[in-house]
Amino acid sequence: MCGIAGYLSKTSTDEPIGRVLLDMLTGLARRGPDSAGMACFRGGTDGTSVAWVRLPTDLDPVTAEAIVQERLAGLAEVRSLERHGDTVRLQLWLDGSARDVSRALERPGEDFEVVSLGEHLELVKQVGAPGGLAATYGVAQMRGSHGIGHTRLSTESKVDLSHSQPFWAHGAADIATVHNGHITNYDRLRRIYEQQGVRFFTENDSEVIGVYLADQLGRGRTLEQAVANSLDDLDGSFTYLVATPDLIGYARDPFALKPLVTVETDTYVAMANEEIAIRAALGDAGVAHEPSGHVYRLWKRRASPAADTADAAA
Amino acid sequence: MTVSAEGTSVVVEVGDRPIRDVNREIRSLLDPGRTITVRHPGAHHNIGVALLAPGRVVLEGSAGYYCGGMNDGATIEIRGSAGWGVAEGMLSGTVIVDGNAGSSAAASIRGGEVVVRGDCAARAGVSMKGGLLLIAGNAGYMTGFMAQKGVIVICGNAGEALADSMYEGVVFVGGEIAALGNDAVIEAPTADDELKLADAFTRHGIARPARLRKIVAGRELWNFEHSELETWRHAL
Repeated sequence: MCGIAGYLSKTSTDEPIGRVLLDMLTGLARRGPDSAGMACFRGGTDGTSVAWVRLPTDLDPVTAEAIVQERLAGLAEVRSLERHGDTVRLQLWLDGSARDVSRALERPGEDFEVVSLGEHLELVKQVGAPGGLAATYGVAQMRGSHGIGHTRLSTESKVDLSHSQPFWAHGAADIATVHNGHITNYDRLRRIYEQQGVRFFTENDSEVIGVYLADQLGRGRTLEQAVANSLDDLDGSFTYLVATPDLIGYARDPFALKPLVTVETDTYVAMANEEIAIRAALGDAGVAHEPSGHVYRLWKRRASPAADTADAAA
Repeated sequence: MTVSAEGTSVVVEVGDRPIRDVNREIRSLLDPGRTITVRHPGAHHNIGVALLAPGRVVLEGSAGYYCGGMNDGATIEIRGSAGWGVAEGMLSGTVIVDGNAGSSAAASIRGGEVVVRGDCAARAGVSMKGGLLLIAGNAGYMTGFMAQKGVIVICGNAGEALADSMYEGVVFVGGEIAALGNDAVIEAPTADDELKLADAFTRHGIARPARLRKIVAGRELWNFEHSELETWRHAL
């Protein structure tokens, strides 16, 4: 089992997303006690990007930070750098692309990893129960329009920060996924992508979902087309959630093997494996509904504070 | 405890209490003349499992997984939605879901009635061995899979693989059928079917769809076909 949760506000792009996701994940924690994480999307942007970078454990953090700074020279102006647990959060004026940042920091044979990068995305994760995310990263104060979260029960790969979820779609800014299930054609897909030069950072099959979506987007498909295609291209049991600055949604395998309920009200959309998480975080409003298999659905974030909420249902 | 003309009523609070304690309390209060109102169920799992005597239990909100599982005689009304496996393995009694039900609603029930006023997700009525599952809305993928006995009524639309590999289960569908499952065939309802359906619709206050198609097993999968031996030798 794993626990997955998603939340989108229809009324504001400045909601306490971190607090809502934390409450939902706490309600799901029994589904996955190994690690927890969340990806929050900030409403506005001042043009800067935020990168979360995991530092190698075999270097002292001060040296590692200096290496990060040095390697970003010419690619980005580092506006701020804060250390949180085993990671640093960098605010960047970016001249290069997300892929350039990845390439500069993540050298073969070393252990630097860009956990996430984007103008809206804040992605944090670590080993342990969801409550630890508040202590390490201050997620209870994170605000924005929407986000997704995960609590992990590891079944086939090791338990550490990198193998935790959400996964950033490596190299493609501002896309994150969380997954409950097993991707059984993971080895085959991984081989195909590795032949194309994609580097995998974990042996967690869930990592391939973000790689798949980034590949589809790179081929000019919309996120909706990519998610629709994934229903047939991914094999195994999966309920996964995906989020970008504009969209949040779910996709389910043809057999609907992993649970999911959605609750939609006039003011928000919430989704989780178990309704208990939604009720614990958001109260009794709305009717829970479980979609059948071989389905996806995406909801659009409201465009701006003045926009009509009618566009919230895609 | 309050007493009214309809009998006594009593409140059981869920909140953050262990569900084992909540269920013990419900079982100790169960009585044919009493309504037990379960407050703040919060979609917790396993509420009201193994209630083995008549009595009325009303959940003031949603239930999590396996609500009413193994029920033998009680009437459980859920004023919200239900998670996976509502009323699983029920022997007798009634479970009513005002909202929607998750996957595997009424799985393996041997008797009693499960009424879902909203939709059911995948595998509703899987391996039913008796009883009635009445769905006012739509039903998902593989409804009625391997049903050995019992009746499933879907007023709305049915998903793919409907009534796959059934034995003596019977499914009625009012709306569209995405696809019939293996060995599922459509036949005309009998006069006896119509009487029983009319009774169930009336008792639960659900409008009868204008048309109901009846699906039963084609019996092609009931016995081993010796001519297929080679196929199975390789498949297994």
